Amino acid sequence: MDIWNQLLGGFATAGTPTNLLWAFVGCVIGTGIGVLPGLGPAVTVAMLLPITTQVDPTASMIFFAGIYYGAMYGGSTTSILLNTPGETGTMVTALEGFKMAKSGRAGAALATSAIGSFVAGTIATVLVTLFAPVLANYAVQLGPPEYFCLILLAFVTVSAVLGQSTLRGMTALFLGIGVGLIGFDQITGQVRYAGNVIELMDGIEVVLVAVGLFAVGEALYTVLYEGRSEATLNKLGKGVYMTGLEWKRSWPAWLRGTAIGFPFGTIPAGGAEIPTFLSYATERKLSKHPEEFGTTGAIEGVAGPEAANNAAVTATLVPLLTLGIPTSVTAAILLNALQNYGIQAGPQLFQTSSTLVWALIASLYIGNVMLLVLNLPMVGLWVKLLKIPRPQLYAGILIFATVGVYGMRQSAFDLFLMYGIGVLGVLMRRFDFPTAPVIVGMILGPLGEAQMRNALSIGEGKWSVFVERPVSAIVLAGIAVILLLPRVLKARTQRRQAAAAEAATPPGEARAGRANA
Amino acid sequence: MSDSAASSSRKCHVLIGLAAIGVAAVLGLGAMPISSAVGYAGVGPNFLPWVVSAVMLLCGLWLVWEAVTGGFRNLETASGAPQGDWHSFAWVSAGILANAALMTRIGFVFSCALCFVLAVRGLRHSEGRPAGDVRQTLVDAVTGLAISAPAYWVFAKFLAINLPGLTGTGWL
Repeated sequence: MDIWNQLLGGFATAGTPTNLLWAFVGCVIGTGIGVLPGLGPAVTVAMLLPITTQVDPTASMIFFAGIYYGAMYGGSTTSILLNTPGETGTMVTALEGFKMAKSGRAGAALATSAIGSFVAGTIATVLVTLFAPVLANYAVQLGPPEYFCLILLAFVTVSAVLGQSTLRGMTALFLGIGVGLIGFDQITGQVRYAGNVIELMDGIEVVLVAVGLFAVGEALYTVLYEGRSEATLNKLGKGVYMTGLEWKRSWPAWLRGTAIGFPFGTIPAGGAEIPTFLSYATERKLSKHPEEFGTTGAIEGVAGPEAANNAAVTATLVPLLTLGIPTSVTAAILLNALQNYGIQAGPQLFQTSSTLVWALIASLYIGNVMLLVLNLPMVGLWVKLLKIPRPQLYAGILIFATVGVYGMRQSAFDLFLMYGIGVLGVLMRRFDFPTAPVIVGMILGPLGEAQMRNALSIGEGKWSVFVERPVSAIVLAGIAVILLLPRVLKARTQRRQAAAAEAATPPGEARAGRANA
Repeated sequence: MSDSAASSSRKCHVLIGLAAIGVAAVLGLGAMPISSAVGYAGVGPNFLPWVVSAVMLLCGLWLVWEAVTGGFRNLETASGAPQGDWHSFAWVSAGILANAALMTRIGFVFSCALCFVLAVRGLRHSEGRPAGDVRQTLVDAVTGLAISAPAYWVFAKFLAINLPGLTGTGWL
């Protein structure tokens, strides 16, 4: 079998001592930053992007993937013990996990989340192994019109589906696209928006924006608003283990979580938030112990979402590797890492860089085992990280932010800009503007523009090219559904509720109410 | 939320909307000199800049409209204190900006250590604790050096990434 041989080849590459070491270091750093509040995988990978100038692509992708994965494992530890989720994907874990830890079952919560992550991560990796090459074969046939529509889909989902307000999501997205426009135009080579500033001619680095928004923004937000907020640390208790009954309750939840998480990761629907919430809702509905939810903490409510989270995170590699379309911020930064090497992510990747792709996939299997070991027996070590005092932690983060941003282009100008973007990050967080669309817009904006102009060239300047080709027409229809369906449903529920309220109130009162209004 | 807090946050909302309109204006001004050489595509390099500028203008107007008609919709209450601690914020800002200004003059290690000292001071102050006497500042400086020096060595020596040093040795 072809896939089997290639996977074996991947293991041979990923299994060299150097690559194993990169995977291990990635997993350790990933778990560490996952545990530490204030840093996520996206910004960590961003800060380490300067290494792409020195380290070979395979090693650095294995390293970054380890960080991405590890952060998900580590993030659950913090959610369970500290109730301050570091990543959006582990937010749901905090709901039940923290309750379990409070009632003295931290060990079981940590165990079910680590083992669940392992089970889901491994199953999802198997699915990636089986389906990604098939999808890549199919995706080769997609042309610029289809790509443009897929990128449009990613834009719509990341700005309209996530967050509370489509308007604020759109504002963030277009801000990102605007930033992405600075510098050389990909097709004509013309410089746009650089003014006469030499530093802007090359464009603005994604690292700079990611680190500014997430790391510097976080530090500034903390000092400005969160100085007096205190978090209580739950005790780890006797040890990390599960009883027979807890195993029995966890298993089905892991599998259901995986089944929910994987498909969501593969479509450009904005990462792990939706599937984790869906999995939580499912477990709550199906549980034989509904009374434990929200009170003493139900183990299914940790097991399901954790599995969904890891399955979704792994699945984001499918669109990233086969289409070159990132569906999460970290995936967007990984795409940027590939771009730094001049590697075009997309269907051809399986042919042109097959060693890299298969080594990366093999390293996921290896990384999952490493992470299970790092997170189960050694969880006590990681918990110690939570004792680092906040001032030193955030001040330290600023040093690493400097390394990442300065190391990329050796420009002090970038450091000033980083501060400005940090202030922007504070404003965005304070006024509930989502930040992910900025990064996605910035990375996908120029790609989308190039695809659009190529598509229009194919269509000889006619916009109908986007609806004449079946795949792009279907994607466009999907976009319309995503945009319209929630609004139609909402309007219908509101109408029904209004009608029900009208029917419930006696006629005299209803009239009085209307007169008052 | 009290009335005064609500009205001050509404004022901020208006300002944010106006800022978005400002961004749209800058994008529009910047789009003017871009050539419109369309080639076969029918749209040139100035097409997307105009689209982004127009959408940004719409978003800005809509934000202002939301702001004056009761504030942004579906706003999730931001975490943390209702009022910002600007004194502490100034310390951290000073740390980052000093780092940016001094990086090439005093080298990465010392510049980052200085940033650390200033930022820790601000963060500690924000927690309502004493920001630190001379002894505490010295401890912070040593801690800052203990983080920035190894970071410098790993990146400069091991990964061969060019970071500015005070000396040409690659160690400091």
